[in-house]
Amino acid sequence: MSVCKEDDPRIDGIQSRIRVVPNFPKPGIMFQDITTLLLDPKAFKDTIDLFVERYKSKNITVVAGIEARGFIFGPPIALAIGAKFVPLRKPKKLPGKVFREEYDLEYGSDCLEMHVGAVESGERALVVDDLIATGGTLCAAMNLLERAGAEVVECACVIEIPDLKGRDRLKGKPLFVLVESQ
Amino acid sequence: MATTPNSLVLEISGVKIVPQSNYHSGNSVKVKLLPNTKSPIARRTPTIYGRTNTPRGLQQIKSSHMAAQNVDSTDDRISRISSSIRVIADFPKPGILFQDITTLLLDPKAFKDTIDLFVERYKEQNINVVAGIEARGFIFGAPIALAIGAKFVPLRKPKKLPGEVISEEYSLEYGTDIMEMHVGAVQAGERALVVDDLIATGGTLSAAIRLLERVGVDVVECACVIELPELKGRNLLGDKPLFVLVS
Repeated sequence: MSVCKEDDPRIDGIQSRIRVVPNFPKPGIMFQDITTLLLDPKAFKDTIDLFVERYKSKNITVVAGIEARGFIFGPPIALAIGAKFVPLRKPKKLPGKVFREEYDLEYGSDCLEMHVGAVESGERALVVDDLIATGGTLCAAMNLLERAGAEVVECACVIEIPDLKGRDRLKGKPLFVLVESQ
Repeated sequence: MATTPNSLVLEISGVKIVPQSNYHSGNSVKVKLLPNTKSPIARRTPTIYGRTNTPRGLQQIKSSHMAAQNVDSTDDRISRISSSIRVIADFPKPGILFQDITTLLLDPKAFKDTIDLFVERYKEQNINVVAGIEARGFIFGAPIALAIGAKFVPLRKPKKLPGEVISEEYSLEYGTDIMEMHVGAVQAGERALVVDDLIATGGTLSAAIRLLERVGVDVVECACVIELPELKGRNLLGDKPLFVLVS
């Protein structure tokens, strides 16, 4: 089940700052561009505050952010709630020993990596990305954390595209989003 | 596990394990594994790749200000930040000592201190824009922007930003790469900070400066967690000052 903060007055400002760019990265895709949100300091702060308010009392010990836009939202959340930040990266970016999780794309596959030792068994984790579409990347992220013994408490995204049913790929874990988009 | 004093360092199978006080819980102390932090190569060449606790440009931050805010002294914070950075030998290729900031991000206090040190420096400088270089510059740049009330502008590899972009080519050791910024993200006359985790040769940072200056932005300073001074990256920044925490 996805939870959405429709009733909060800050949501309108956030939603209105998101720019839709048609036919990117390929024809037919309506790309949800959060960079315009980042150009509005109040809207960006409100975005982070909405997540922090939800998670600060949930004993989250690790915030995992998915490269690269998850690196924009994840660290401020981690800092505010006093959690570790763990970057989940494309292959060969992280030095040293990594866990590697492969996942399907529309055509072909991709990989997500996490450092061995970044997360300890029993930790409570939040996974953060700017957007959930099909849920493939988030699912790979959850697998990485669970392989390290962490408990994924929730996935948090700024935007959800509900028609793509990404929440059904989260292995029963809850998803929290601020904005739904067609 | 019996309680372990903070000063005890355990060596198991040649790997140093250092207890961390902030992981202390009840009768057990969780330890942070630091594989190969002090590799033989790092020891042999401390003057090139070693880290010192003498941050450039921080002398003007007054210690009285620290006491008033009930924060650790600058030196204490820098010391913790510096020791939390992991050095990995031969990555991404033989001979390179890679400065890995991910271990800093695993220490919430060190990460917070890192951001605080930048914020303390820039919050009164009327910075309108923080430009962060993909991808590790996003991790430090976004929190700084939020804390000082500035816009955050991601500077990205090609084809990541949708819509209209301006591009700047820059040299790599072999070949070139391209950095892009959205058209309209910044306005002429705005005051900008450029942030990345590390400055090596300065090629990436100088490309960022050129991108911003092409649209009339005033680049006030470049800010990095780490500098590799022997690579003389400062020389590529022209008249732009560089501020780093760890050298």
